[in-house]
Amino acid sequence: MSERAASPEPGRAWDSLARSAANAREAVDYAEDIQQLLTFELAGAPYAIRVEHVREIVRMRPVTPVPRLPEDVRGVISLRGEMIELIDLRCRLGLGRIEPTRRTRIIVVQAGDNDVAGVLVDAVREVLRVADDAMRPAAGSETGAVEELCAHGDEFISLLELERVLDCHA
Amino acid sequence: MATRGGRSRSESKADQEFVSESEEILERMREDYANLDDQRASGAEVDPDLVNRLFRSAHSFKALAGMFGLESIQDLAHHLEDILDGLRLGRLPLDSPCVALIDEAIHTFANLLESIGDAEAVAAFNAPVQELSRRIRAAATQTTAGGDELASLNIDAALLRALTEYEEHRLRENIRRGRHIMLVSSTFEIMSFDEGLSVLSDSIRAMGEVLSTLPAPGDTPESQIRFSLLVASDLSDAEMRERLEFPDAEVISVRIGAAPAATAAPVEAAAPEPAPLADAAAASPSELESLRSISETVRVDIRKLDELMNLVGELVIQRAAIGELAVRLVAQSKTAQIGADLSKIHKSLDRKLKGIQAAVLEVRMVPMRQVFEKISRVVRALKRDLHKDVRLEVSGAHTELDKLIVEELVDPLMHIVRNAIDHAIEPPEERHAAGKPSQGCIQIDAFQRGNHVVISVADDGRGIDRAALLARAQALGLVTASADLSDREVLNLIFSPGLSTQTRVSETSGRGVGMDVVRENVMALGGAVDVESIPGQGTTISMTLPITLAIIQSLIVGVGSQRFAIPINAVHETLLIDSREIQRSENREILNLRGEALLLRHLAREFALGDAAAGDKQFAVIVGLGEQRIGLLVDRLEGQQDTVIKPIQGPIKNVRGIAGATELGDRDAVLVVDIASLVEDALSRREGA
Repeated sequence: MSERAASPEPGRAWDSLARSAANAREAVDYAEDIQQLLTFELAGAPYAIRVEHVREIVRMRPVTPVPRLPEDVRGVISLRGEMIELIDLRCRLGLGRIEPTRRTRIIVVQAGDNDVAGVLVDAVREVLRVADDAMRPAAGSETGAVEELCAHGDEFISLLELERVLDCHA
Repeated sequence: MATRGGRSRSESKADQEFVSESEEILERMREDYANLDDQRASGAEVDPDLVNRLFRSAHSFKALAGMFGLESIQDLAHHLEDILDGLRLGRLPLDSPCVALIDEAIHTFANLLESIGDAEAVAAFNAPVQELSRRIRAAATQTTAGGDELASLNIDAALLRALTEYEEHRLRENIRRGRHIMLVSSTFEIMSFDEGLSVLSDSIRAMGEVLSTLPAPGDTPESQIRFSLLVASDLSDAEMRERLEFPDAEVISVRIGAAPAATAAPVEAAAPEPAPLADAAAASPSELESLRSISETVRVDIRKLDELMNLVGELVIQRAAIGELAVRLVAQSKTAQIGADLSKIHKSLDRKLKGIQAAVLEVRMVPMRQVFEKISRVVRALKRDLHKDVRLEVSGAHTELDKLIVEELVDPLMHIVRNAIDHAIEPPEERHAAGKPSQGCIQIDAFQRGNHVVISVADDGRGIDRAALLARAQALGLVTASADLSDREVLNLIFSPGLSTQTRVSETSGRGVGMDVVRENVMALGGAVDVESIPGQGTTISMTLPITLAIIQSLIVGVGSQRFAIPINAVHETLLIDSREIQRSENREILNLRGEALLLRHLAREFALGDAAAGDKQFAVIVGLGEQRIGLLVDRLEGQQDTVIKPIQGPIKNVRGIAGATELGDRDAVLVVDIASLVEDALSRREGA
């Protein structure tokens, strides 16, 4: 950085390039037909939720089981003093429960103003920016949680509707 | 926080601010008005300061409504202010029908506040508010003519002209009452005159009313200043001179009073007349004064205090980390000195953190007085509406409770008091026949017991009619006709939903929603309700509540591999028991606890944790709120800890038996057991059902 700053010419070129790239990104962000999805894996298949629902992603941590709840609720985790219900997404979608691995992550989601929950996934992949024309109707959904399919390269990513995920029971 | 049903309206932040500030002012107005009305009705002399305070409240209210652009309220407040101004200046007589208008205006304000945020409902008030304003305006314009009794006074006319309108009114009023009027003058050092003057004023106030304080002209040395106080008193000037411990003071009679007989009320001369506190300066209606009086306290959203509490909690955890670091440093010879220093800092940090914790907790605490004041107002209204002669006695108004609890407590308490007046207290004839004083009595006590506050409402009414209660419960199918209930169980039926023993439904109470809601509300606060009743002698309903919701001590217990927190306020004792001590009755396990049969429940089974390989020895934690208790069997006791109970966030909001979760030092979430529901389930459930 300091070298670039010392030689004015390339520095300026670099700046303007960065600026135009940033402008381009902003332009895309504001375009209505683009959405950002957080993709993750469940039982080897790709799934996604909209990034605006994602509050944060944390590693697996101690879970305190809560009695008298269905099996797909793992329990409660403590996140900086907040007590948050942890939903086992595999279980909820009827994909069978597995023990956490090194790649297991908890996505902390927020559906409404106060509806916070932790969602357990096998692994988190990336944030995708997809155009609306990449979306396909879901090929039926057993739990009603899959809202649409997103065509990405050769694969179809199942876009989950968060409210349904939080409410439905497999 | 529990939300009460029935009120759904959108409230902007500004609206909320307006409502909460207005409520405070209205509260004060209601109280002052009630006192004023009482004093007037009893024929006693009305404390001029009451009228002044009402005037200032109306004035503040007007300013506030103006700030928030609520014109109809502003308008009404303005007219109310006119009336009160007339009253305080003696332009309107106190027995004028306009006093009743004050009450009406206060009610209208209260109704309007309820609708803030709902533009349509507010608009619906326009017509009645204008009508009321018109009536007030009409009432305020009738004035009383003042005779010129001032001309006969032995006083410099210039001094009289310096009096404000209010002061002049007070002077006339005192002359009318036949009091002695005198001028007390004294010279003070200019450097310290304010101190000397206030000592003089205070000592005069003990004997009479200071009508005005005026600087007196005269040939005083430059370093001194002379003041004259216009005083009204039942004492003569000679008596005043004698009693005033102020050697320099000069007392001149302005008017010799008559014996207090002229007026209609031959007032009990000995009755402690409310000391007229009206200080001339304080009563002057300057804008500054009245605005300042609202903002003596800072209103804080309780959620902000919760945040503060959480931050303090996190600090406590970090403090522990510093402590550990210090120990590690001390253990190594190279860093021992640094470690020792750090350890000192850690200790002082610890002390200060505890201080902060205590301070934040204390901020959340409010005295029960606030609730009691609201209730005494309701009692006053009920007395009138139901034509019952009832006396309300309260004790323990200074007992403090967490703000959140106090808020949630108002409705249940109000309901109990209403019930007592409406149903329990008999009509005077009936009381007379039973050999009771015709005036009924409701006694509310609040007192602290350990880390609980007990609030009891006792009446000396007819007591609960067991037979009628049982019959109602049977008619409603709440109990079978053959059920053999103990007296306690019968009494507890009053907490059943939909049950009201009086068939008559009144405005005041009893519409099916009743004691069951009371119990639900109290249980939601982690408390319990008990009832005791002696036929013909009265009923006592007591609510036992935790002092604070914020930080509670919990007993940490272990079951299998899991730990649970049990709020210590629900724990009566813990016992180490041998499994051979456990007896059976049907499928229930019971323990002989000092001759009483105590129902036992395994926490592991309650929560389906699978039966741990329990050894011969187990711990029984005797828990319960109010009178009902059970023994919870657990594997281990792991000591007591400060816990902050937090709700579990997520789609599943409520799990019966779990009150929330708490974080222990090691960052693990530990579930907090909801004892009230466990006890209730255990005692009501049939085994195997």
